[in-house]
Amino acid sequence: MFLSDIHEQVRETARQFADEVIRPVAVELDEQERFPAEIYKEMGALGLFGIGVPEEMGGPGLDTLAYSVVMEELSRGYASVADQCGLVELITTLLVRHGTQEQRTRFLSTIMTAETRVAYCLTEPEAGSDLSGLRTFAERNGTGWKLNGGKIWIHNAPVADVGFVLARTDKNAGHRGMSIFIVDLNQKGVERGPKEHKMGQRASQVGALTFTDVVLPADALLGEEGRGFHMMMSVLDKGRVGIASLAVGIGQAGLEAALDYAQQRRQFGNAIVEFQGVQWLLAEMARDVEAARLLVRSAAMKIDRGDEATKACSMAKWFASDMAVARTADAVQVFGGSGYIRGFEVERLYRDAKITQIYEGTNQIQRMIVARQLIKQGARG
Amino acid sequence: MKVLVPVKRVVDHNVKIRVKSDGSGVDVANVKMSMNPFDEISVEEALRLKEAGVASEVIVVSIGPAKVEDVLRTALAMGADRAILVETEDKTEPLAVAKILKGVAEAERPGLIIAGKQAIDDDSNQTGQMLSALLGWPQATFASKLEIAEGAAIVTREVDGGLQVIGVTLPAVVTTDLRLNSPRYASLPNIMKAKKKPLERKTPADFGVDTTPRLKVLKTEEPEVRKAGIKVKSVAELVEKLKTHAGLI
Repeated sequence: MFLSDIHEQVRETARQFADEVIRPVAVELDEQERFPAEIYKEMGALGLFGIGVPEEMGGPGLDTLAYSVVMEELSRGYASVADQCGLVELITTLLVRHGTQEQRTRFLSTIMTAETRVAYCLTEPEAGSDLSGLRTFAERNGTGWKLNGGKIWIHNAPVADVGFVLARTDKNAGHRGMSIFIVDLNQKGVERGPKEHKMGQRASQVGALTFTDVVLPADALLGEEGRGFHMMMSVLDKGRVGIASLAVGIGQAGLEAALDYAQQRRQFGNAIVEFQGVQWLLAEMARDVEAARLLVRSAAMKIDRGDEATKACSMAKWFASDMAVARTADAVQVFGGSGYIRGFEVERLYRDAKITQIYEGTNQIQRMIVARQLIKQGARG
Repeated sequence: MKVLVPVKRVVDHNVKIRVKSDGSGVDVANVKMSMNPFDEISVEEALRLKEAGVASEVIVVSIGPAKVEDVLRTALAMGADRAILVETEDKTEPLAVAKILKGVAEAERPGLIIAGKQAIDDDSNQTGQMLSALLGWPQATFASKLEIAEGAAIVTREVDGGLQVIGVTLPAVVTTDLRLNSPRYASLPNIMKAKKKPLERKTPADFGVDTTPRLKVLKTEEPEVRKAGIKVKSVAELVEKLKTHAGLI
């Protein structure tokens, strides 16, 4: 609902692609923890990477609402694939907003075709929700820089070509002493840790990166020196809409699977959908998926109108991810014993949902953000 | 060479259709509508001809209420160059559609018309054939392969006995079958570009065609529900049932 013809067409492309290309292989990708390069190549050709990149820079130039619609549909196919789309959207948004002409020319087009694989490198052992503990440090080295430190839980770390790395450039300037560097991850001094084996979204490749005297040229710096923290934070509203949409997609997939199964499975001489106990589970799932979708789209539209959107994005991310966990648990319940068996879609959906309460800011952090915004803007803000 | 592709807006092939309770037709209220799948195949084939340098322009045309603009936009987003919408609120029958398409063809002078073999709503499978007769052009129906060579189309047709290859001189009407190609998805950049592509609005009167229906639908009903089968205990009983039940043997 509330979608223009353009958004409907975008949704149609993403939905068809998810149904025909992604969903049929989701079980296999999950089992094998495999990076689906062939799917990403096709997505690149369809313009699903870098959805917000303006037309004059070679992208589709679509808005946050379109991004949200794409994320939901891709995630209905498989959340890991949607998360790749979300990661690329963050990176391309950073490049579009803060990159020099030269940096955009060099990176945008091949990131959008999925030829160049990227990583967004924020988290460290001592710096997660609280980035003040950030230790990775870039010191001046001639006209360029020398990078030392390490990152953990980095999406794409085992496969990425280029990392967008948040590092300190001034140890005494707190949040104003951090900068973003575009780092070639195939160069000397960069070491990749082993791939982590996760509970869900297992086709997403996650691992650690260690930097030892990595030499960076002057033009590795993205945007202004000392503004890295603020630049990273500036794309988080959009990032939260993305993860919230991904959670809605997981919830929608669970609802569809549960409704379908309840109409087929027979007990006591009836399809189980005839029993009120099952009907109520399905009705609650439908209600919450829809409520989450509305919160997410409202947040996306706020960003697109240029309104203050931080609180809306946090509420959407928090609500949608809690919904995804609770309602995929219900989907498993509708399936009964089958829902607990590997290979059944709802078993995977339940595992895939959990991380949405954690990444892109834990839901505890979202509560802090919402409360702060409330106090700052008042109850009607 | 211009290629003209007629497209029809129909109930989406994934929708489980319902007959209206008064039997007057199929309920299309709040039902997802899409481009007829055979027409998607036709658009795809035309686009491939353009990409191969054989066609110079792909024009799509649809006939129906203002809402059919949706499927024209989809065709433009797939890559068609421009669209013509012939607007009418009447329920259009194959003959009226063929007459309008004849008018469009006379105005546009395409070298080839690629149409779906049938639409999945009424399954008439008549428009392409009627259009060919009205224009006096050769026809090659149920195409599963299409090649253009020196003023002719070499078409592999799916017929009851297998495959038949025929040559038709251009201009011609070709109708597409399921196995001709797999239609592409509309890419996001192309969806945005399609907004700026020209869409011309016409009416049946512009082509001197009266679309008043000539057919009257008497009744529409659901197919009979399949009855449950029976279980037999032995081969002997099976053979017995096959003999006695409605003379199957």
